[in-house]
Amino acid sequence: MTIGRVRLLTQVRDLQIIDRDEQDCGIVDDVELEGRPGEGLRVTAILVGPGAYRTRLPRWAMRLVALIAGDHMARVPWGEVAYISSTVQLARPAQDYGLGEAEQRARRLLPQIGGLNAPE
Amino acid sequence: MKITELTLGILTAVGGFVDVSELVFMAQAGSRFQYALVWVIVLATIGMMVFGEMSGRVAAIAKQPVFNMMRHRLGLNLGLVTLIASLISNTITCAAEIGGVGIVLHLLTGFGFVPMAIAATAVFVATIWLLPFKWIERTYGLLGLFMIVFAVALVAIEPPWGQFATGFVPQVPAGLSTQDLLTYSYFAVAIVSAVMFPYETYFYSSGAIEEKWGEKDLGLNRLTTIVGFGLGSLLTVAILASSAQLFGPAGVNPEMPGTAALQAAVPFGRTGLLLALLGMLFAIAGAAIETCLANAYSLSQFFGWRWGRRLKPHEAPRFTLVWLVVFILALGIVLTGVEPIALAEYAVVVSILVLPLTYLPLLLLAGDKSYMRQHANGWIAKTLGWAYYALIVVAALAALPLFLLTEGGKL
Repeated sequence: MTIGRVRLLTQVRDLQIIDRDEQDCGIVDDVELEGRPGEGLRVTAILVGPGAYRTRLPRWAMRLVALIAGDHMARVPWGEVAYISSTVQLARPAQDYGLGEAEQRARRLLPQIGGLNAPE
Repeated sequence: MKITELTLGILTAVGGFVDVSELVFMAQAGSRFQYALVWVIVLATIGMMVFGEMSGRVAAIAKQPVFNMMRHRLGLNLGLVTLIASLISNTITCAAEIGGVGIVLHLLTGFGFVPMAIAATAVFVATIWLLPFKWIERTYGLLGLFMIVFAVALVAIEPPWGQFATGFVPQVPAGLSTQDLLTYSYFAVAIVSAVMFPYETYFYSSGAIEEKWGEKDLGLNRLTTIVGFGLGSLLTVAILASSAQLFGPAGVNPEMPGTAALQAAVPFGRTGLLLALLGMLFAIAGAAIETCLANAYSLSQFFGWRWGRRLKPHEAPRFTLVWLVVFILALGIVLTGVEPIALAEYAVVVSILVLPLTYLPLLLLAGDKSYMRQHANGWIAKTLGWAYYALIVVAALAALPLFLLTEGGKL
């Protein structure tokens, strides 16, 4: 971990997440905290996926989001965050955190015709 | 930077600048108000240069595409509102472009409008699926350069240059009735919207991220936005001015996109007509692809999905599904029988409402030194950025009332 002092709501939440292979794999949709009243709070995980919007959106908007993007949610332990810059980078590939499943489901809906590789 | 690469980038920006809304509104504005709205095109083009340059710079330095930063800066709720409005605006615009291509193909081939719109959509899907991003961008952008015939035609018909030059001075024509004044204002707002369409910024900045721009590309960014957009804008000025010279005095209201092509037919006959139609075909087709991909970029960036035309369709499956669905929806709108001209009108009104929400996070991030370091907005970019921001807020507030009061500029 190369994280020093971080502002969770302005610096981390709603930031793009990339995995170890620099693949886009979601947005930090919410942050999970742990602690009791009178004690210090500890960040335990980042929550990824539209399911994490439930407490952030009005009900009508949540229904709309679920229609477009589903309502799944994955929990990535905070210890798996490698560093934070203009993106949040994870220590391992997206699949290890269950972040690639929706892409897999979408892939099955596409016809199996290949496109050309883009030349540099 | 290779000189060929630079030239191609600029030429692509020129050829890709014009779309169906510009063709319709510029021709109508010229016919109705002569040269009195030329200055609005110039004003809006400078605005497009300012925000285009900013979005390219942010993509190169902060590596953030527009919808990533929008959500991060505006938050989930306001970001979602912007996303929905953008999706609606881009889909309507895409439908207008498909309708425009259908009309031009109908004029070129004589086949029916509906089969031509369907065939065009199928070709768009095939090209995005099969061809690399750069080929698509350059093919449509460079073939769109046939539009230069409009500028040559303007010179050939020898308009009153002195009168034309006065159009560059900000003005409200004297002696207009209240109704005409409202219509003049409506056309001014529509031109600002058509020139500064938000999809252009989404598309441009996403392209910059895909091409992995860095500090070394800031010069290319500046040249493309200033020279490329500037020259592209000259074509729209030429369409307005030719219309003022040819259609206005004859009492012709060039409502259909195809009418503008007659501007080249007057001085150059069949060849001019053919070149104009071909230019329009590729320019509008390029815009159809850009608007559709802009939706795929927006949704993917908002939800953090894999995205990009550099990836094969199966490597970014949700991105691919979105652009496929957008094409189907846009074609569906066209097949309901709504006139493409009406779609173009709805597109400009909805788009101007989205502009303030699109450009606010861009302005904030471009001025943020913690992300942009020494490339943060200087005083010129800051002053121009906020001045144009105020302008688009006023235009956004005025757009809907003006649209309703003038029945979309028809009164």
